[in-house]
Amino acid sequence: MGANKIAIIGIGEVPTRTMPERSRWDIIYDTCMEAVRDSGLSKNDIGAVISTSPQAQPQLTAELAFGKLPEELGLENCKDTCVVNAGGAGTSNCLRLAEQYIASGVADAVLVHHVTVHSTIPVPDLIAFFAKAGVDLQWEYPFGSTYNIIMGLMANRYMHETGCTPLQMASVVTALRSWASRDPHSIFYGKAVPSPEKVLESSLLNTPLHKRESNILADGGCAMVVVSAERAKKMGKPAAYKLGESVRYFSATPMMRNMEKMVYGLRDTAKEAIAQAGITSSDVDIWNVYLAYPLAHPIMAEALEIAPFGQGGQYFLEGRMSFGGDIPWSTIGDAPGRGHTGSGVSAAVYVETARQLMGKAGERQVPDCAYVYQNTSGGSGFNNIATIWGRDPK
Amino acid sequence: MTTQNAQAEQFDMTRPLPIVQPWSEAFWAGAREGKLLLQHCKECSATIFYPRKFCPECWSADIEWRQASGKATVYTFSTAYDMVEPRFWADLPYTIAYVDLAEGPRMMTRIVDCAPEDIKVGMKVEVTFHKLDDKFSLPFFRPAAK
Ligand SMILES: [Zn+2]
Repeated sequence: MGANKIAIIGIGEVPTRTMPERSRWDIIYDTCMEAVRDSGLSKNDIGAVISTSPQAQPQLTAELAFGKLPEELGLENCKDTCVVNAGGAGTSNCLRLAEQYIASGVADAVLVHHVTVHSTIPVPDLIAFFAKAGVDLQWEYPFGSTYNIIMGLMANRYMHETGCTPLQMASVVTALRSWASRDPHSIFYGKAVPSPEKVLESSLLNTPLHKRESNILADGGCAMVVVSAERAKKMGKPAAYKLGESVRYFSATPMMRNMEKMVYGLRDTAKEAIAQAGITSSDVDIWNVYLAYPLAHPIMAEALEIAPFGQGGQYFLEGRMSFGGDIPWSTIGDAPGRGHTGSGVSAAVYVETARQLMGKAGERQVPDCAYVYQNTSGGSGFNNIATIWGRDPK
Repeated sequence: MTTQNAQAEQFDMTRPLPIVQPWSEAFWAGAREGKLLLQHCKECSATIFYPRKFCPECWSADIEWRQASGKATVYTFSTAYDMVEPRFWADLPYTIAYVDLAEGPRMMTRIVDCAPEDIKVGMKVEVTFHKLDDKFSLPFFRPAAK
């Protein structure tokens, strides 16, 4: 199956906030209806619905998996629906399945969506979920490991190997928040951007991770309408065309992770996706990187060969990846800038990719944006899915 | 997350025990006796950790247990000060590490008997067992004796 067969023609999103007053279904209605309206299609044109699995929300997952959404929204011509779960890589797989539905004739238009409401989950349940997700219950969890600690382990090794300083690391937060402060859908919209020094003033959670280098749990949701590239072209509306894709699996338990394998995988998937799109790295207008934690961004900048080895952190400190810098990077600010919505941040990054290519990104709009690199990754980094999206079909 | 004492009663404060598979029982039996055991594949000579039902390299079932030296080198570490589960609050601060065993495999552990600021990547460490209950002892590591 080629990667150049689909296009995103409609997007819908609610701002990421703490909004316990909004039920999950309330958000589903708004995001899905907005995406369908934005696409120019009608509800009865939607032939299938695919949900990115909402983490830590078992009741909603069951409702979606057992087919409630098409009935709820009255999608009369919906032929099938399902939930896809690969953690943060879930939405990438929703889009792949949408491509299959379209190629095999199940549907002409597919609705892909995500919703997460963290704020009404009891705190003990949230803590228990995030403590155990992506951590091996026999070989890691009993020692007291957490998601934050796993990122700390990776960052400490990276800093040891490259000499990257805490100030350089902290500057990633400054860069991400510089985008987020200009994104009406971000929890930090309109908020002051902390300097790297200010980030380092926040308390240490676990070395080398400071409080401002971690994520705030939030509520949010978004949706996309996907059709064949051919149909999108005929419709002649602004769209995001999928041009290239490459993926690698690394390992499930970070304990077993070979850091080199991961870094080479980040590098190779980008090269392969870019080659499949028929472009070069210098054609990419935005590096829409999804890594959930700021600490991994310098590693990614080096793996993508944007920064030389050991210089990833310095690039961020110089403001090159910040709003106004010469390397547009994670233009919603990744999870640290957007607010953490479980597997939803990667869905939001796709919506942003489409928004930029459609020319609808407002203050954050990258001028003449023709090509976007976007990645997703699941669990505590078990894989990397690299994709290239274009403003025009191949 | 919030005031520790006020919240503590809502949370499960019991110490989590390893969720064991049948083929890893021998590892924990060894740990109980102060032995760090690794699987060895007699077919392809792979040293295997964590324990598997079959050799992950060649799928052989012909696997035996061998006692490791207990010597290792710190690959990386992170010292926790906050934002761990309530059940680990009493241990704070504590240091989680990956260590590379002399026999090859990398494992997660805790570094103990050492001030956090003295822990370094590349530091030589040796195994010491931390008893959780009558069934489980966790392999922790401490600075190697000179
Ligand atoms: Zn073998």
